[in-house]
Amino acid sequence: MNVYKYASPTNFYPLAGKMIPWFATPAAILFAVGLFVGFFIAPPDFQQGDAYRIMFIHVPAAWLGMFLYVLMAIYAGIGWAFNARLASMMASSISVTGAMFTFISLVTGAFWGKPTWGVWWVWDARMTSTLILLFLYIGFISLQSSIEDPRRADRAGAVLALVGVINVPIIYFSVQWWNTLHQGATIRILQKPTIRGSMLWSMLILLAACWLYSVAVVLIRVRCIILEREQNAARFAEATL
Amino acid sequence: MNWPDLSFGRYGFYIWGSYLFALVAIVWELVSLSYRKKSQKQEKTSPRVLRGSTNETTS
Repeated sequence: MNVYKYASPTNFYPLAGKMIPWFATPAAILFAVGLFVGFFIAPPDFQQGDAYRIMFIHVPAAWLGMFLYVLMAIYAGIGWAFNARLASMMASSISVTGAMFTFISLVTGAFWGKPTWGVWWVWDARMTSTLILLFLYIGFISLQSSIEDPRRADRAGAVLALVGVINVPIIYFSVQWWNTLHQGATIRILQKPTIRGSMLWSMLILLAACWLYSVAVVLIRVRCIILEREQNAARFAEATL
Repeated sequence: MNWPDLSFGRYGFYIWGSYLFALVAIVWELVSLSYRKKSQKQEKTSPRVLRGSTNETTS
């Protein structure tokens, strides 16, 4: 099987349509399981009480916001460097979902901050750099939609996405580089987590759910973009598959 | 199993508020995508030249 043929938007269009249920269905199941574990099995925290349950949606949303930005920048860079149309379309598709998760992380963070810190918002390094991430997403989306020619829009968006990627390590390491109000990382890849198993599992299950949801939604949106840009060829490819 | 009081006492507004906001954001994304697909289906029945479409011709 020649996998390179799927680099063509018209060939990828029917494949994406077949892949969507394989991501959407497990996402829905994992959302239900993760919320059940988080609300009914995980015990209250000894310091924060039940307020910590906001973390089950806040942390996956924050991780996805950062991860999707890096992925968007990689796709945009590939699209720019190799003139790959599908990669640029994927970058456009990822941007909306990435912005949504970043916005969710900021708002849920504010909902957590009020009962624990006593304020909705502070100009803390982690929160400010995450807000900049949201502005970068909005800038990318606005820039692309303001340029009429899609190929020029892709190139301009790629420049912004690649320049903005520097903000992601700043967000991640901000709690180490500066003396911030935001707490440090509780979960590290190479170290044993400092939270109870059921709390960790709920967070990881919801992270998987958010990730699967993102893939499904990005595939749905990229199909729309392919149709908008190459409608006749895409419909022909699906009809002949 | 730990069956908590789902009103979550003084934290209820913040917990349910954050989950409600996340739900609204996800529903908004799905609804906007479905509108986008629906409008494309309508365009399929009444075709017109789209931005960047391969049907476009330059003079």
